[in-house]
Amino acid sequence: MGSRSAPGMARRTLVKAGASLGAIALAAPSIIKARGEEPVRIGFVDPITGIYSAFAQSEVNGAKLAVEDVNKKGGILGRPVELLVEDSANDVGTGVQKALKLINRDHVSAIFGDVNSGIAYALSQVTNEHKVFQIVPGGHTDPITGKDCKWNVFRVCNTTSMDANAVSGELIKRFGKKWYFITPDYAYGQTLQAAFVKNLKEAGGEYQGDMLPLSTTDFSASLIKARAYGPKVLLNNMGGLAQVNCMKQFVQFGLDKQMALGGALYELESLYSVPREALTGWWDYEWWWNQPDVPAAMAFNDLVKKAYNVPAASARHWFGWVGVHSVKLAAEKAKSLDAIKMAKALEGEDLPDEVKCQKGRVYYREGDHQLMANIFVGTPHPAEGGNPANLVTVQSIVPGDKAALPVSETGCHMTWPTA
Amino acid sequence: MLTLVLFNVFNGVIVGLFYVLMALGLAMILNLSGVINFAHGNFLALGGYFAFLLVPYIGFWAALVASPLIVGVIGLILERTIIRPLYPRDPVYSLLLTFGLAFIIQDLCRTAWGPNALPLTVPASINQPISTEFFFLTGYRLFIIGIVILAVVALFLFLRHSRMGMRIRAGTLDLETVAALGINVRLLRSFNFGLGIFLAGLAGVLAGGQIGLNPNMGDDLLMPAFIAIIVGGVGSMVGTLLGGLIIGVAAGVTTVFYPSGSEVVIYLIMILVLLLRPRGLLGEEGMMT
Repeated sequence: MGSRSAPGMARRTLVKAGASLGAIALAAPSIIKARGEEPVRIGFVDPITGIYSAFAQSEVNGAKLAVEDVNKKGGILGRPVELLVEDSANDVGTGVQKALKLINRDHVSAIFGDVNSGIAYALSQVTNEHKVFQIVPGGHTDPITGKDCKWNVFRVCNTTSMDANAVSGELIKRFGKKWYFITPDYAYGQTLQAAFVKNLKEAGGEYQGDMLPLSTTDFSASLIKARAYGPKVLLNNMGGLAQVNCMKQFVQFGLDKQMALGGALYELESLYSVPREALTGWWDYEWWWNQPDVPAAMAFNDLVKKAYNVPAASARHWFGWVGVHSVKLAAEKAKSLDAIKMAKALEGEDLPDEVKCQKGRVYYREGDHQLMANIFVGTPHPAEGGNPANLVTVQSIVPGDKAALPVSETGCHMTWPTA
Repeated sequence: MLTLVLFNVFNGVIVGLFYVLMALGLAMILNLSGVINFAHGNFLALGGYFAFLLVPYIGFWAALVASPLIVGVIGLILERTIIRPLYPRDPVYSLLLTFGLAFIIQDLCRTAWGPNALPLTVPASINQPISTEFFFLTGYRLFIIGIVILAVVALFLFLRHSRMGMRIRAGTLDLETVAALGINVRLLRSFNFGLGIFLAGLAGVLAGGQIGLNPNMGDDLLMPAFIAIIVGGVGSMVGTLLGGLIIGVAAGVTTVFYPSGSEVVIYLIMILVLLLRPRGLLGEEGMMT
């Protein structure tokens, strides 16, 4: 190596280096769990790294507990269940590649994934093409069980429309009709904001907003715009670490004294990480741990706390739990691991108490395969009663099928394979 | 609208100055040793996490000094043990090594502190807006500006007027001749590497106070730092400073008119610079132009 630094060479190398940053996701390591003999394999593609890693980790942990539970009770069709976890690194290409690996190499009977709606959507096309049963535990964008629904795809978490519909009325009633959105510019954010805007316009409201890249870390420019607009409420639709960062700057700039906060999701994993001043507003919780009159919910909460030394189970733990149990329900009702038979079997199926962990009917809706579960509309606050997870007061519970659009309005036209 | 644009220009300068702090350390290591340090963002994260550990015992101000020093020492140890043997080889080797190192540090952070974001507590006295008009200018952001300016001035004075600094500048231009003059080039590179990592650690503590800590926190800041160097010109510290400010302001102003483009605009600037002035804005005459 010559001793003189060669700027031309260095620059070229630097540019190449920058380009190869984009390849980081593809090089992310896979995590493969212990295998038994002739197990029923479930492949889980989730962003173990990246801004959604906390959500993904909770989903995977919930699924692991469900696998243990199912195996203790005889497995699926008498065979042990094995969970193979792959990191999508929050990248569509990587997620698809990992799913193909799970399908072609590991011959999984079901694919789970992804927290990122864009990846979940892409996976649904891959699994449909390969006729593999898929559960979407936590990717919310509407088209997955809407206009692009697939016979083989079932979703546990809510649609963005359901989440927006459940809380819009409260936001309008309590804070007014002038809103400002800070929204991630990808599938989830676009459909979520569209659903909120539809509700706001119907109420005669007005809005402005920024659609920002998912990887945004500094929100100061958008918060400057928000303050100039003077909204009654700021809807922070960012997710994961991006939402936390935005909340921190919101409080640092003193905007918590000038406008209310609200929106669809402000999940337990995020609540742990924000300043106490940002623990406010009206939000949706897709499952909530504190249901003292529901023994199964309390049992699940205890199970998660004990297994992972966390203050409480989150909705994401529950998504993973429901996902694995749904595969068992489908396979055992169908008496087969054939994807078409499983999908037919799970349509309209109710979840049993120990799986649904809440009151009321929880079922996969026939026609779009969307799980109809309760939406817990709540108000966050600093931890109470010495419990670090006691961060939300549930104000109302909206049944999923009351918040969801009728199947006829979702755009879903399910097409089943002929063979 | 004009006020909004001016606010965002000002805000962009603040954001850009932060990129500068990150980019200066990266540029120092690249300029002298030819190492493209992919793990720079992860050293930043380490700086934040060590401060998180130290704050309850020694307070924020002492942690602001101690944590970057610890990270700098870790950088020194890694330079001596795994990076130094690769100096004689093609830069691609050290690039691949730091690429792997980035994953290792990130996973260590995730294992040690978990995937959830953690708060780094800064003194409440500086965590408030300084006025209702300039609400985006909190005491803490002002403090960051002061620290970055202080660090940049100190670094420039060091490089211009200290014996070690002059040797680093000379080594950037012709390391072989510097070695032939009897200067300990190994020591020079080690010190330079440690100093660059110290700056990453400092940026980590400052970033942690603003956006909190998470294992991926350095990833999104690494690319703007690379771009600041390319736009400003490889080899030019002043160029790096200019590059950081340009992309910070560009991202801020773009948010006013087309928020979705706030990220892509910095890449467009890089492409334009590479097409029109491939050596970067101030990259012609080498370091300290």
